[in-house]
Amino acid sequence: MENLSEKLIKEFNGKLDAIKGQNNLNIVALKNKKLIKKLSWEIKNYFDILYTLTVVDYSPVFELNYVFSNYENDDILIVKVNLDEKDLSIDSITDIFDSANWEEREAYDLFGIKFNGHPDLRRILLPEDWPGHPLRKSFEINDEVRHWTGLDLKF
Amino acid sequence: MEHKDRIRMNIGPVHPAMHGVLKLILDVEGDTVVKAEPEIGFLHRASEKIAEMRYFSNYYPIMDKLDYVSALNMEILYASTVEKAAGITISERATYMRTIMAEIQRIMSHLIFIGSLGEDFGNLTSFIWALRERELLMTIVEKISGGRLAPMYMCNGGMFYDFPEGIDKDILEALDKIENKVKHEYSAVFTKNQIFLSRTKGIGIMTKDMIKRYGITGPIARASGINRDLRKVSPYLAYDKVDFDVPVEENGDTYSRFIVRLNEILESIKIIRQCLKQLPAGNYKTAVPWIIRIPKKDTFVKQESSRGEMGIFLVTDGSDKPYRLKLRSPTFFAIRALEELLVNVKVADAFVIVASIDPVMGEVDR
Repeated sequence: MENLSEKLIKEFNGKLDAIKGQNNLNIVALKNKKLIKKLSWEIKNYFDILYTLTVVDYSPVFELNYVFSNYENDDILIVKVNLDEKDLSIDSITDIFDSANWEEREAYDLFGIKFNGHPDLRRILLPEDWPGHPLRKSFEINDEVRHWTGLDLKF
Repeated sequence: MEHKDRIRMNIGPVHPAMHGVLKLILDVEGDTVVKAEPEIGFLHRASEKIAEMRYFSNYYPIMDKLDYVSALNMEILYASTVEKAAGITISERATYMRTIMAEIQRIMSHLIFIGSLGEDFGNLTSFIWALRERELLMTIVEKISGGRLAPMYMCNGGMFYDFPEGIDKDILEALDKIENKVKHEYSAVFTKNQIFLSRTKGIGIMTKDMIKRYGITGPIARASGINRDLRKVSPYLAYDKVDFDVPVEENGDTYSRFIVRLNEILESIKIIRQCLKQLPAGNYKTAVPWIIRIPKKDTFVKQESSRGEMGIFLVTDGSDKPYRLKLRSPTFFAIRALEELLVNVKVADAFVIVASIDPVMGEVDR
């Protein structure tokens, strides 16, 4: 596993950083978000699935944590990508990892991150006319949200 | 619409045959499904947002209500995550006690699955039988923790209470009864029942490739020939100190998914018996303050829940509350496979296939 992250870092010279393992996790940080697809193709050689996609709101920066895993052993690889608040979009990796489909929809739903090239980018957990993206730190839980009834929803 | 005889059916979210509040949009031609679209989110309760507003110790009741059929598994997962992040070590007795509780909960969850699978094609006997056996364990969980569906038993550093006096005798008695029923009585309504076999064998086949594409884990993956169980792959709690097998089937149909879970009940019984024999004396709880602060770091923990690999991605920032808590739920990935799995099956079989996924919507919608 150590070798893999070292190999990836060498291949993406300068664009990929190792982050010293906290809790023995394998973490790499990708500096240029345009390279996410290229990196995913590399990772596809070692990992089967996108295990989960976690977005963390450090306004004005949003941090995406791609967790990759495989079926043979216990290894996981975490790829961190930072997005700026002004341009919350990144290339979708659904054509490389099919399991990313609903995870990306969830990230769009709860954080409003646009995944370019996603086949079906709709809200997944919340109704289509929900105001805003609730897992952002700036989301305010006011009376409109608290007493939301969804009567405007068209069937 | 192109096809004149094509009808769109909206089934759920509130429908007597549906599991929880899952909604299926089925396009049917005659009796055959040609397109299926699962829709989720009707039980979304913002668990991840609530986590950011609560102390680490106060989140256990919410974890209970995620996968409410295997609440103890959820509590143990959350406890393990917080303990790993905060560097708390629990006593050996506590790991054994948690293993016992996790396996008791797994048996209860699989019994519910077995019952509801039979009930979905009109075999009400199976449901009542399975719930009768589950009640034996329910009583034990109630004796130990005071709760039944949402026990609230785990806490940071261990458990709230020790096992009551003489509970091991009760557990062994209940396990003997369940083992006897599962081994000798259940064949009458399941494995030797012609109706059950013809309704489940060869229905809803998932190939290995499909499992890997959708990222499905747990009993569903093991029914398709993927030998992966986190209890074996990366043993946590006391799983490396007990001897058990991982049941694997090759066919990937509804029947295999049933058999895998039936065999897992027997394996869980084996685990609990060994744990009770080896149960060491000592503290059941490490003293931890109610309000703890965890320095800035990322923690990722995954464990084998009853439905597959449940994971928590915890981001802390040095305060007394999580900065971000992401729940990785196994059924969230499995439900998506329905859009491929339900195509070209009869409408009546569609419900059996949904039941064989064993979805609990509390965990899917979070």
